[in-house]
Amino acid sequence: MASGTASPTPLTPAVFAVLLALAEGDKHGYAIMKEARTREGGGVPMGPGTLYGTLDRLIRDGLVEETGVTDDERRRYYRLKALGRTTLAAELERLDAAVAAARSMGLLPNGGRS
Amino acid sequence: MTAVPSRLERVYAQALRLYPATFRRTYADPMRQAFRDALSDDTLSRRRLVPLILRDLLTSLIKEHLAMLRETYARPALLFNALVLAGISTVLALALYVIPQQVLRTGADDPQVEMATNLAARLDFYGVNDGLRQGALLNTGTVDMAHSLSPFLIVYDDQGRALGSNAQLDGQTPVPPKGVFDYVRTHGEERVSWQPVYGSHAVRIAAVVERVNGPQPGFVLAGRSLREVEARTDHVQNLAGLAWLAMMGLIVVGTAVFGWVTRKRAIVAP
Repeated sequence: MASGTASPTPLTPAVFAVLLALAEGDKHGYAIMKEARTREGGGVPMGPGTLYGTLDRLIRDGLVEETGVTDDERRRYYRLKALGRTTLAAELERLDAAVAAARSMGLLPNGGRS
Repeated sequence: MTAVPSRLERVYAQALRLYPATFRRTYADPMRQAFRDALSDDTLSRRRLVPLILRDLLTSLIKEHLAMLRETYARPALLFNALVLAGISTVLALALYVIPQQVLRTGADDPQVEMATNLAARLDFYGVNDGLRQGALLNTGTVDMAHSLSPFLIVYDDQGRALGSNAQLDGQTPVPPKGVFDYVRTHGEERVSWQPVYGSHAVRIAAVVERVNGPQPGFVLAGRSLREVEARTDHVQNLAGLAWLAMMGLIVVGTAVFGWVTRKRAIVAP
């Protein structure tokens, strides 16, 4: 992912789930993992290795940052940066267009949640 | 009060040691905390957690080690330096082979040059037929071209037919390709590697062909087996190949060490 610009390519499930979880507000590691596991959060079960590897790359690419706030010496909180929000919005638009196309082809019921 | 880590947590803490040092220094503590949080999460059973963690360890270990290798070694300056060094080493190894090979090959012509020049000078005066009748090739012994390393002489007439020789190959006097005579006719001399017999019993000859002018023109060929010279050339080739491999090995090891020493270190938050 190029640093400083919203990604034009589809996001990986882990990146998408982390960005989506942080869109709600600042979260620590396990809260992100837990949110990502839910159907609403992308349904991506991930362990600490995948989570922190993903966060490391998102921080380096300027999409996410550490808040500096901690409630425990080992529990760090993360927040979405403006670029992360733009990237997530672009991905959601891409998915939305795909879902709309699927509906128009009759692959999904009209009007309802898939 | 700090809680006593469970057995699973202790095992997980040991597994974290398998991550690259840079990654481990930055994330081992929060990862352990996330694992502890997962253990105490009532909505996540052990039956689901353990396979999830095992799969996560396997995939993320591979991913982080690959990322570490990429960051350490896939640097343009490092790769460019290694490529330049590899190029220089390859040129040096080629020079190590080509220069001695050329010296050995041209040196293989030395006695023949003298022999061919001397005989051609005599035959220039008498003519090829008369010169041979007067014993130009007498007292030289017969050389078996297939086995002997001794130099030999062959005299041809102006049409390239063998008139006399002190060398035999399978009971006959071989004749070089016509193009050699055509070249010598216009240039006076030619030095060639000549292969009168191909296949498993191939014979290769370092031949010097001189033009005989005068009343009965023709050609003098002085030759010598290249067997010994080619054995030395092969030895030089092996040595140059070994030198090239050694230089490549040094470049690989040097690049790996230099890349590791100059890699980016983790900045651990205070």
